[in-house]
Amino acid sequence: MSDATFAIVAAIAKILLVWAIALAALLPNLVWAERRGAGMIQDRPGPNRVGPFGLFQAVADVIKLFMKEDVTPLYVDRLLYNLAPWITMMPALVTFAVIPFGSTFPVTLGGVTRDVPLIIADVNIGILYIFAFASLGIYGIVLAGWSSNNKYSMMGGLRASAQIISYELSMGFAAAATFLVAGSLRLPAVVEWQQAHVWNVVPQFVGFLIFLIAVFAETNRLPFDLAEAEAELVAGFHTEYSAFKFGMFFMGEYANIIAASGLVVTLYFGGWSLPGIAFTGVWGAIASIAVFFAKTLVFIALFIWVRWTLPRFRYDQLMDLGWKVLLPLSFFHLIVVAAFVAAK
Amino acid sequence: MSLELVVFAIASGLAIASALAMVVVKTPVRSVLSLVLTFFALAVLSVLLAAPFIAALQVIVYAGAILVLFLFVVMLLNLTQEAEGHDERPIQRVLGLIAVVAIGGLLLGVTLKAGAPPVPPAGGPIGVATDEIPILGRLLFSDYLLAFEALSVLLLLAAVGALILSKRRFD
Repeated sequence: MSDATFAIVAAIAKILLVWAIALAALLPNLVWAERRGAGMIQDRPGPNRVGPFGLFQAVADVIKLFMKEDVTPLYVDRLLYNLAPWITMMPALVTFAVIPFGSTFPVTLGGVTRDVPLIIADVNIGILYIFAFASLGIYGIVLAGWSSNNKYSMMGGLRASAQIISYELSMGFAAAATFLVAGSLRLPAVVEWQQAHVWNVVPQFVGFLIFLIAVFAETNRLPFDLAEAEAELVAGFHTEYSAFKFGMFFMGEYANIIAASGLVVTLYFGGWSLPGIAFTGVWGAIASIAVFFAKTLVFIALFIWVRWTLPRFRYDQLMDLGWKVLLPLSFFHLIVVAAFVAAK
Repeated sequence: MSLELVVFAIASGLAIASALAMVVVKTPVRSVLSLVLTFFALAVLSVLLAAPFIAALQVIVYAGAILVLFLFVVMLLNLTQEAEGHDERPIQRVLGLIAVVAIGGLLLGVTLKAGAPPVPPAGGPIGVATDEIPILGRLLFSDYLLAFEALSVLLLLAAVGALILSKRRFD
């Protein structure tokens, strides 16, 4: 097998592995975890009838969503109305490509051993690729709101666009500090730096907090789900969606949570590495994947925990927090980090 | 036919088609979206030229930020359909056509005269491209320092100007 064929086969295998873990294994259980977590926090059982501990609730939900009548209201912009749920799914699916999810996996084929780095595409613009697709994902929500031909949906879409623009900047500046110390935009380089020195969360705790808050806003999760805001806007941007298309918005949200958690882990918590442990060989590679998975799960749990703990922000508070607190703070943080890097 | 040629054909075709759609389509929101598609296709072309950094900036700044603001304004003003029929502007149309032909001919002439395009640096497209970011950064802060600083002052002025205009009371 030539190097080129091997690279293609390895890439396809990695894509399948990542999607299998993130979408087939994690995503359905996330719905279950969210609903059971909500029950736990609100002192009620939550869904517990379908299967042991209600584990098959997600299956039942999906079947229900498939079976329901798909209502398309009159006077919607049909093309955009149907396209919007797909646009919401897309960025989450492609973001996984540049997040390193393990060390290197040795493969011996025909007497030649090749080390396969466990990342789908190690591009030299790493984080910019993620930001590029994250900023495109917003179109799904905005278009859903606009094409529905409904005042409340429109308000939701408007809010979403303003919100994402406001928090994108702080997120970018916070993340930039981690790349400044690593000296590269490649995510594997960030992980290697943290492996060699210290997890970024320790020296850059402020940056971590900014990034985490901005990520909550970017994924449209409570306390920043102003685009949905069911108390004011019925259901915001997806008021007019039903059945499978509504389900796609849900899946998009959860896929985004998984991707965002993976990104937080990679940037601030050492990615797949653990201090003092070298992951080598086949078992090392598998262990490193497990480590990355476990760390990501912690942040997914945090997403759920926060959702059922904090109340929703008011719109003016959201804007104040984004522009008057997070943005100046992230500027300041970046300058301080840059000064330290320059002084070294 | 190489894979790169196929990608180039698809991306450039998409860019031209969506650019046309941007002008022709009557609904402003769809116009904005066609422009997003154009920028995305242009970003793909940048990747083919082994310039992934430019591609990422194109998507982040233009498709991801500026056009979201366009969309925001279009939605805020609730422009659903372009007003039709009023003011056909006959002179402007003729002048526009002349300008299009002149600029198009100029571009065509320059392209034909330039001959074969330079070969992109070895290493190929995204993934294995040379790290261009340090080079770009160094150039920005040495050779192009004046232009860079002037641009940032210009942006600051624009922001301050917009703020003053929006805060001015009409009394």
